[in-house]
This record gives sequence, C-alpha cells and structure tokens, in this order.
Amino acid sequence: MTVEEREQRWAEAMRAERRGDAVAYERTLKEVATALRRSLAPRLVRAGLGAHEAEDLVQEILIGLHGKRHTWDSARPFLPWLHAITRYKLIDFTRHRRRETRRRVDLPLEDWLEIVESPADEANRSMAEVDRHLAVLPVSQRKIVRAIAVEGASVRDVALGFATSEGAVRVTIHRAIRRLLGPAEPTR
Amino acid sequence: MTSTDDLIRSLASAAGARRSASLHAAFAVTVAASLACALLLVFSVIGVRHDFADMAVSIPFGFKLAYTGSLVVGTSVVALYAATPGASATALYALAPAVIFLALGVIFDPTAFPITGRTNTAVAFCVISILFLSLPAMILTFVVMRQGAPTQPLFAGAVIGMLSASVGAMAYTLACKNDGTAFVATWYTAACAIMAFIGVVVGHRVLRW
Repeated sequence: MTVEEREQRWAEAMRAERRGDAVAYERTLKEVATALRRSLAPRLVRAGLGAHEAEDLVQEILIGLHGKRHTWDSARPFLPWLHAITRYKLIDFTRHRRRETRRRVDLPLEDWLEIVESPADEANRSMAEVDRHLAVLPVSQRKIVRAIAVEGASVRDVALGFATSEGAVRVTIHRAIRRLLGPAEPTR
Repeated sequence: MTSTDDLIRSLASAAGARRSASLHAAFAVTVAASLACALLLVFSVIGVRHDFADMAVSIPFGFKLAYTGSLVVGTSVVALYAATPGASATALYALAPAVIFLALGVIFDPTAFPITGRTNTAVAFCVISILFLSLPAMILTFVVMRQGAPTQPLFAGAVIGMLSASVGAMAYTLACKNDGTAFVATWYTAACAIMAFIGVVVGHRVLRW
C-alpha cells in the first residue's frame, strides 16, 4: 500500500466513523495498530527501551487517536494528524518509562550511606541484633534462649547445665517466645 | 495482541459518538467571553480613564488597540494551530502584524513620553493590571485547549499565556494612562512574556493527555 493509498483508505474510514460505521472504524484501527507495531519497535529500541513495550505504546496511541478524533479536520489529510499524535505519544511514553526506571533504581541517601559504610562483620552484627532483641527477656529466660537458639545446645544439655528438668526448660522457652513475639504482634 | 484487539473492539463500538467539534468556533467564543470578563473587571475594579472620550480618537489609543488587537487575533490563530495535530505551521505568520506593530511602536514613537511611563509606579501598575485582567482568559482558554489535542504541551501553554495577556491588555487599553507607544510596546509585551512563562509551567501539568 503506497502512502497515498493508505491516506485515502484511512481518511475515508475516519469519515465513515463519523457517520457511525463501526466496522470500517474497527478495520482501520487494526490496520493502524499493525502499521504502528512495525514502525515503533525499532524506535523504542533506539530510545533505550525494549521492543516488547511496543504493544503498550500502540494501545496508548489508539486510545489517543480515539479520544481526540474530533480534532481531525476531515477536509485535511489524515496521516499528518496521526503522525503528530504518534510522535507526541512516543515522546511522552519514553519519558514516562525513563522516569519510572529512575524511580526503581534510584537509591535513597540512607541506603547509599549503608553501602559506603565499612562492611561490618556480618556475624558480629547479627549477634548484636540478637542480643538487642533478647534484652527484653528476664535474665534467666535470656540465658536459656541464648543457649538453645543461638549456641545450638540441646534441651537435655541445657537442663543439665542449669540443674533443672527438661520440661522446665521447654516451658521457659515457650514463655520466652511468647514474650519475644508479644510486642511485635500488634503491628501484624 | 489479544488485549489490543479487545481494546480496538471496544473503541470501535463508540463509532460516531462524537461529532467533529469546530475548535475554530470554540476558540472564537472563548476569546470573546474572556474579553467580556476582562472588560467587566476594568469597569468594576480598575476604572476607565476619566478623559476616555478625548483619548478614544487619539493616535496613542489607536496604536494600543491595533497592537493588542493584532496580538489577540494572532495568538488565537496560533493557539488553534497548537491545539490541532498536524496543522500547517504557516499559522505562525498570523503573529506578523503584531510584531510589525511592536517594532513600529518602539522605533517610531510619535509621542515624547519616556519609556518607563509618566510616574515611577507606571510600569509595575500597568504590568500587574494586565496580568490580573488576563486571569479569566487564562482559565477559559486552558479549558478549551484541553478539548483540543496539543502535541506540544509547553508550546501550547506558552501560546495560551500570550493569548490571555493579549486579551487582558486589550481590555486594559481603556484604563491605561500612559500614551507613549514605546511604553505600550515594551511593557504590554513584557506582560505577555510573563504570562507565556506561567502558561508553560501550567501547560506542562495540565495539557498532557
């Protein structure tokens, strides 16, 4: 299809749309979509976006075409009108996508400082974390929890070490867990 | 692909729902309404010059009217161009008369009034009055511009700003006490530039579609 043929065909269909001819309009929208799909993919790649984004952009352009079709003067050529809309939507789309990407990869200052900070020993840091959390427990519970959960001792060893029964150790652990979860629960 | 086909089907079902609206008519009506609002503000807030009857037949008033009138017509045509995708850029020539009047006013000032006006506050009063009078036009023309399809939102915003200022300036001619054509050409244009800048800022936010 040459440019002149396409111009005539689409302009005629857009005039038909104004008379309420949904069939001609649908057929033309499909042709426009096909033509756009073909021409936009390489442009998107050149703009640094993936070719798979073309379908989103095609839909944007179709919606724009549909929403602003009253601004086409039927006495004037249709293709320049469509081209201006395509160009606007392409620019708007790439700008929008770029802003989105920036937001996704942009690092807030605090995160950046964390990266720059001297890499503290991971193990030490997590131990300090654990101690901080366990600080809410009474001393006797804290010792038992530390022994089992952090140092990995068995319930039997702990019972022997603290000179109590295994049952008492289990009860202490349960109480400690309930206590540890307690303050966090309201937020869940 | 299928989602696009669905979209196309739903768009096509609305065929014929929209008559081709004449943006020409919409802009003409809006500019007339804006001018009426601005005139109302001149009569009610600023006040018409008391020697208006004598002034109305003088050359300075003729110049003011010619300059602001050519600006209103020129910027209206360019606004229509900005609202229509793929319109011919020859519409920009519509601003030529205003530019010619501007140049004539600055170069061949027949009056001997200073360019800064008759009093120290003349410039500030004049510019601020025009900005004030252009507010109704600004709102109305932005509404109409949104009905159109501006493919260059910043440019469209700037043109709307200039159009609004021209309407405000045209109404202000009834009140303006400074008759120097150089004064008019300079400071009326400055008001246009300020409104154009505001129009760019607003257009960037309001005219996307």
